[in-house]
Amino acid sequence: MPELPPDDPIKSRSYANWILIAVFVLLLCVTWSFYAEFIGLRPWRSYQRRFASSYSVYLQKQLRARRAAEKTVYSSPDYQKLSTTLRQAEAVAKPQDAAIQQQIALIDQQRAAVLPAFQEDRSLVGSLIYDYEIVPSTASYRSEKQSKLKEMQEAKAKTYTVDWPEADGKTVEKKLNYDQLNDTFNQLLDQKAQLTAKEGDTDKPVKDAQDAMAKYAGDKLPGLNSAQLQGLLNTVQSMDVSLIQINVNPPGHEINDVGGVGLTDRCQSCHVGMDPKYIPTSLTLTKTDLGLQKSKDAPFTSHPDTQLLQWHPLDKFGCSPCHGGNGRALDSVETAHGRYEHWLWPLYYPENYDAGCQQCHSADAWTEHAPVLSEAKILFRERGCIGCHNYAGFDPQGQQLQDTVREIASLEKEKADDNQTIPQLNKAGDQAPDNATAQKLYAQATDLTVNVSKIDARVEQLDELSHSLQQEVKRIAPDLKEVRMKLNPNWIPYWLGHTWQFDPSTKMPQFRLEPDEVQAISAFIWQQGLKGPALEKQPGGDAANGKAMFDSLGCLACHSIGEGTQKIGGDIAANLSRVGEKADYDYIVRWIHNPRVRTEPYCPYEHKDIGPADYAKHNLPYVFDVEHSKCPNDGHELVVEQATIMPDFRLSWQEARDIASYLMTQKDSSAHYDQASFINDTNLYAKGKTLVEHYGCAGCHEISGLEDAARIGTELTTEGSKPIGRFDYALLYTKAQEGILPDGKKDPRGSWYDLKGFFDQKLANPEVFDEGRYKPNPMDRLHMPKPNIDREQINALASFLLGSTESTLPPSYQYAPTDQRKYIQQGWWIVTKYNCIGCHQIDIGQKTVLMGLPMYQADNSINLPPVLTSEGARVNPEWLKRFLANPSLSTTDEDRNGVRSYLKVRMPTFFLSDDEIRKLVLFFGALSSQQEPFIPQKLAPLTDQERLVARAIFTSPAAPCLKCHATGNAAHDKNATAPNFLLAGERLRSPWTVRWITEPATIIPGTAMPSGLFVRRDARWVFNGPLPAAAQQYKGDEADLLVRYLLQLTPQEQAMLSGRTPSAPKSGSSRAKK
Amino acid sequence: MNRKWICWTAAAAFALVVVGCSKNQSQTTGEEQSAASSAAKKTVDMSTVGSVSGVVKLDGTAPKFKPINMSADPYCVKANSKPAFPDQVVVGDGNTLANVVVYVKTGAEDYSFPTPSESVTLDQKDCMYTPHIVALMVGQQLSVVNSDDTTHNIHPTPADNREWNKSQPPKAAAITDTFARPEVAIPVKCNVHPWMKGYIAVMANPYYAITDKDGKFELKNLPPGTYTIEAWQEKYGVVDQTVTIGPKESKTSDFTFKAQ
Repeated sequence: MPELPPDDPIKSRSYANWILIAVFVLLLCVTWSFYAEFIGLRPWRSYQRRFASSYSVYLQKQLRARRAAEKTVYSSPDYQKLSTTLRQAEAVAKPQDAAIQQQIALIDQQRAAVLPAFQEDRSLVGSLIYDYEIVPSTASYRSEKQSKLKEMQEAKAKTYTVDWPEADGKTVEKKLNYDQLNDTFNQLLDQKAQLTAKEGDTDKPVKDAQDAMAKYAGDKLPGLNSAQLQGLLNTVQSMDVSLIQINVNPPGHEINDVGGVGLTDRCQSCHVGMDPKYIPTSLTLTKTDLGLQKSKDAPFTSHPDTQLLQWHPLDKFGCSPCHGGNGRALDSVETAHGRYEHWLWPLYYPENYDAGCQQCHSADAWTEHAPVLSEAKILFRERGCIGCHNYAGFDPQGQQLQDTVREIASLEKEKADDNQTIPQLNKAGDQAPDNATAQKLYAQATDLTVNVSKIDARVEQLDELSHSLQQEVKRIAPDLKEVRMKLNPNWIPYWLGHTWQFDPSTKMPQFRLEPDEVQAISAFIWQQGLKGPALEKQPGGDAANGKAMFDSLGCLACHSIGEGTQKIGGDIAANLSRVGEKADYDYIVRWIHNPRVRTEPYCPYEHKDIGPADYAKHNLPYVFDVEHSKCPNDGHELVVEQATIMPDFRLSWQEARDIASYLMTQKDSSAHYDQASFINDTNLYAKGKTLVEHYGCAGCHEISGLEDAARIGTELTTEGSKPIGRFDYALLYTKAQEGILPDGKKDPRGSWYDLKGFFDQKLANPEVFDEGRYKPNPMDRLHMPKPNIDREQINALASFLLGSTESTLPPSYQYAPTDQRKYIQQGWWIVTKYNCIGCHQIDIGQKTVLMGLPMYQADNSINLPPVLTSEGARVNPEWLKRFLANPSLSTTDEDRNGVRSYLKVRMPTFFLSDDEIRKLVLFFGALSSQQEPFIPQKLAPLTDQERLVARAIFTSPAAPCLKCHATGNAAHDKNATAPNFLLAGERLRSPWTVRWITEPATIIPGTAMPSGLFVRRDARWVFNGPLPAAAQQYKGDEADLLVRYLLQLTPQEQAMLSGRTPSAPKSGSSRAKK
Repeated sequence: MNRKWICWTAAAAFALVVVGCSKNQSQTTGEEQSAASSAAKKTVDMSTVGSVSGVVKLDGTAPKFKPINMSADPYCVKANSKPAFPDQVVVGDGNTLANVVVYVKTGAEDYSFPTPSESVTLDQKDCMYTPHIVALMVGQQLSVVNSDDTTHNIHPTPADNREWNKSQPPKAAAITDTFARPEVAIPVKCNVHPWMKGYIAVMANPYYAITDKDGKFELKNLPPGTYTIEAWQEKYGVVDQTVTIGPKESKTSDFTFKAQ
């Protein structure tokens, strides 16, 4: 027996188990990959399917309802009646149309018959005329010229045979020469044009009936009709589940060019409803509409602000550029929304949505449809953030002014050097060995001489610029140079230590100061204050009258008064409830009389205050104001105004005393302030100075010696681009990640270790980041004081900071318009700076502070300042320039309103710089889309007949113009509520005035000016009231006539009509300032 | 190709630097030389001096001038009872030529001369410059006075010296200035009265004379030597003659300008 071979491993060893395991593993992998591909990694697929199904259900429901509604409407008697009218009109029009069509057809045939002969003859005669023309007119060619003329005339006389179709269908043979062909052809053209016009007339009743039906149906059944709904349903049902991608690319690339740089945005793959293809902009869908109110993830609604989508079309912008998030990611909601540690731009939370606007709208002071951002930008300035933190675009004038002064100084140095070099060069020239060298040296000296004159020219320009800039530089807080005149010294340390206890709504943040720091700062500020010249002593005033004026002048647009729930007024300026405890009466009188008055001017060039002695040295009177702003020492521009935005109300001294007397009664009489004996202690001066510099007080206050102090805080222009690791959470790092807030509560968002969390906490209380740190010296602590802002304001500022990013978008996406919108963009900076919006409505829907005050409710709203939404279209820009410079429109009688003398609330003088006035005028013009420059329309003078008609309208009881409009007569104007017509000529633009007197409510809804004074009849405005028979003959536009009459009204005419003596409202009035 | 360019540029730059440096050097040495030579200048020995004299004549006829129209300034019309004529060519009997500057152009460079302390006066009288030509030495003071009851401006337009232009109201103080570089002769004008033309001759040495109507001149106190004597006339240009004089010698040298 043969020996068995050793065990064959193939036979004896089995890998079956291993293979089985491998098969299972493989199978598992395949299953997993299929799952991941179709379900796990592609959540958007299921979203799209869910959208299609739930939206289809919604559409079907809508469609059913719509069809039923349409049926009801279409069968209603009214609609049936319209339908009958249409049928009747059609019945009438049809035979007429047919006849006309037949005639037109015949004309076309006749034209076709004539055309070949006409064209042939015309070209032949044309060529013969040319042949005749090119033969010279000299005697030697006379016979040839004659023969050509004859040839041409013969051709013209030659007749063509035309087969002329007649109306009865027969064809007639016609013989026509050149002129006849021409006439026939033109006649045919005319006839056809007439017939076509006639056809339009015949069809008009049909079209009108159709329009009436469409209008009726549209009124009864707004929204999408059944056909449109059906179309949508078809689109949705045939929807192909696919990735939706938008590429945001720089210019030069197609919008959807995948190769471009920029951004890839796939958000709509889940948020399908954003595409107007599925949900048209006229439909705003919510979760409830789709029956998904209970669903946690149903990203199918349409965009809530369709206007924003119109400005930012989805195919150009996508979603993530505005909202943040990782537009590329598709594998999960978390990654797509960018809420994971490796993505720098997480999706903004709804309360911060406006942040997304900032990266492109950083040059705006006011962004439409971004109320949170606009509010934040006002806060950023108004709450003094800008005092410590640089932010590109915010209050650049201070820096510009410093640069200008520095440039002047360096130019002056250059000039002095040149002036020293010139004689040296001349001397060298005199001594030069040869004439050539001498000439070269003389030429150098001459060049320098000319250069000196060029420097003078440049310095002149810079002085002019700094004059303008000095008018523009404003500080948010009071001038501390004047503390000794204004304040009770005992109050200062109390204020520093108990800022918010004294005034809970103050803009001043609460600094963390130790008692010794408070003393040192108080002492420094006090000792650094101006010591003279002394204020004029003021007699007492009438506090009751002062209160009345305070309540009605418009003070409350900026200032508030009262505490807690009693508080009314604006927040841009101080609350005055306790001003009587701290302030000096004489100072307040001066301040109210004109807040821009300084005790001493400041010379930025010499870095010192210029006192009476400096003026006396140069034999100059101690006079300084906007018109007298040159430094007596060096001729450069002085700071002659207080850098406050508070305007001059042009009050008399008595009125100022009355208001000051009222304000001095505003105090808590039980308040007591300890004697601040240390305030004159010179030993505290140095420490106080160090602290004032340390805390950056000079960022908001003007302080002697620190006028040019730089901002001490971090620049915030691109704060939102900083990676989270660069924010110092100090000992709160772990707590932040765990979502435990500094107050120990749980953060509803789960974690606040992100920019939003940091900004929210830092703004709420910067102190928390010092928690637990070892900082024995108070000055080692974080500088930032606690800002006095509420939760909403914290959120607004946090949104602003979150949006302060280096844009990831191409530069062309930046909102930097070069057309009229540029003026709007620039203007808002000024409008928000001076709080124009505290009194005036400028943007439609924008609320003013005054509108919310109790004294302007209901009927009293008539006392509000004018709405300015159409100011640019209303007034002549030249006039507006003058008005903004001096709202009293007078040089002799300034204690009044120039236009609305009947309003108690007063337009004050802001002492705007020329540049600001220019920008404001352009701003208002641009808001109303007015052309620049303005060219007034010529007003045709009135004929005698027109004047009679205009007078009849003007004095008609149906248009009691002078009941409301002022006339300049004091007794009459007591009850006036509208401006004097005598101002209209130079103030108003005529097209606007026509619109105003016909349809005022479309310009300013809620205006006291009544609508319906005129009615539209036969394409003209006709007065809607009885007119004498003679006036009824007038066939022109009566609104237009009245405007021409009003804009050319003379004082005599007005006096005659109102039966009173004339009194011009303009300059030259004799009523002197009280 | 590239490398070639670099080489050329480098070479050019080097050449420029060399030229620049050498020029600088020559300048300094030039200055040093002039300083050295001025230190070595001689003074004139008055015991050996001689003189050159003569007459300047015009060969041909002097042009006829129209009277000046001064109607632009009524004061000037009133001041001139008889009409005034341009001073461009003034001849005396026998065609002798006035207003010619005769001076030693070369030959006196080795001597140093003190700057005269008295000033030379140029008057503006009856809306004309009186005299028509003034001559003064380098550094000598010119004093411009206004005897008229109208405002003049004095505007020398030199080629080698510094230009200036100053206004002088009636009765104003004299305007004084000096000229640093020899120049024959600097035109002077008044922009208010465009007919007013005069000359200031700035001399390097004291050997100069301005002829009168008789055409005579005399250059005194000349040390022995060979000189180029130049006669300058504003219209006819210059005539040069070389004259050698021995100690205490007096020579005659006449000049003739050709009328053009």
